[in-house]
Amino acid sequence: MSTRLYPLYQRGNPQLRIFLPNFWMKLLKPTHPIPSNAVQFMVSPEMTKHDVKQYLEKIYNVPVVEVNIANKMGKLRRTDKGYIVKDDDLKYAFVTLPKDMTFEFPNLMSEEKKQERSDQMKEIERVKDTYKKDQDRFKDRPGVPTWFN
Amino acid sequence: MSLYSFLSHGLRLASSVQTCLSPNKMVLIKGSLPLKSPSLAILNRLFQTSCSRYGLMEFFDDEKNWGADEVRVGRAWKAEELRLKSNQDLHKLWYVLLKERNMLLTTEHYYEKMEKELFPSPERIDKVEESMKNLEQVVKERNKAYWQLEVSSAEDGCRPVRRERNQFGVMVDRPLTEHVEPETDSNRVRPARPYASPDVANFLKLKHEQEKTERNREARRRHRHVVGLLRRFPDLDLDMLREQYPDVDMDRVRRDKRIRGNHEDRLSI
Repeated sequence: MSTRLYPLYQRGNPQLRIFLPNFWMKLLKPTHPIPSNAVQFMVSPEMTKHDVKQYLEKIYNVPVVEVNIANKMGKLRRTDKGYIVKDDDLKYAFVTLPKDMTFEFPNLMSEEKKQERSDQMKEIERVKDTYKKDQDRFKDRPGVPTWFN
Repeated sequence: MSLYSFLSHGLRLASSVQTCLSPNKMVLIKGSLPLKSPSLAILNRLFQTSCSRYGLMEFFDDEKNWGADEVRVGRAWKAEELRLKSNQDLHKLWYVLLKERNMLLTTEHYYEKMEKELFPSPERIDKVEESMKNLEQVVKERNKAYWQLEVSSAEDGCRPVRRERNQFGVMVDRPLTEHVEPETDSNRVRPARPYASPDVANFLKLKHEQEKTERNREARRRHRHVVGLLRRFPDLDLDMLREQYPDVDMDRVRRDKRIRGNHEDRLSI
């Protein structure tokens, strides 16, 4: 349950235990409709099904029925300079909760908040446009103040 | 729980320990001391209990922070502060930090990948990770101290590693494994010199050239920096500069023509 180097196990010793697990898990908003008792995670690439199950059950007190793991290869893409680079591989975990449990991804950003943010962006764009127009108007006459006609 | 039983993942001499995950999660406030059996009132004053959300909702922030433009938080835990804490406290704090990091990563992913918005106060992730780094450092210190006291001065409880060249000729730490009989040329699984090939030699040549170029550039950058300082502040104390930039050759700096202005009297510095 950890990305650190495990100590050597010698026969007769007590079972190796992880006291400070350092794996991460992200809970994702599903892009496709999934059953109400299913949850989608992105997890540390070193994690196995058993790790995911134990992580949720022991750290988060969430009962888990089944875990499915999917590895997704990172995309190969070309950078601005023409080098071909590969993005990191991702690991997804699809977790099934017991039948009677449901989970719905909460709405972290309300519609008003989204509207507010887009309004702010529009305002910034408008100011930028105005500035650019002013700059263009006096492109041929540098140093002339903007109030001059 | 004794000191050594808590530390690190699995110890040879460790007594068995339950992982400490109490259902009512208590978060210690910075600077407060843990109490043995506090009354509820004192407990409320000294401890901050995380609110009673359980399960998967712990992957999300407080509802009041949803959609906020800025979330104000304190600083990261310092190693000096963590050294004062007991092992139980550190163990609990680790899980608090782990959950906090998961929460922040979840929120960051939601904002940046799903909504294409800026994640508010992204420095929170750095703070949590710094705290985790410091906590791990403190635990390693204690672990090492225990092993040196109880086992031998050479042991630190970690897996033994050997620094050697890998198949690309780069120096790495190879974790050692135990063998029933000593490794010889006849029973060797892994080649003794995996880096012995003309391709690797060529690669190393180029790599060393690259590193040397970078080192030279860095040295030149430092030299130029000191020259710039002397040009702007001609009365700087050279001994102070020598102390601050030990790698820079001060005689060469003084001979550099860039520290002189276009004045005759500056020629005699």
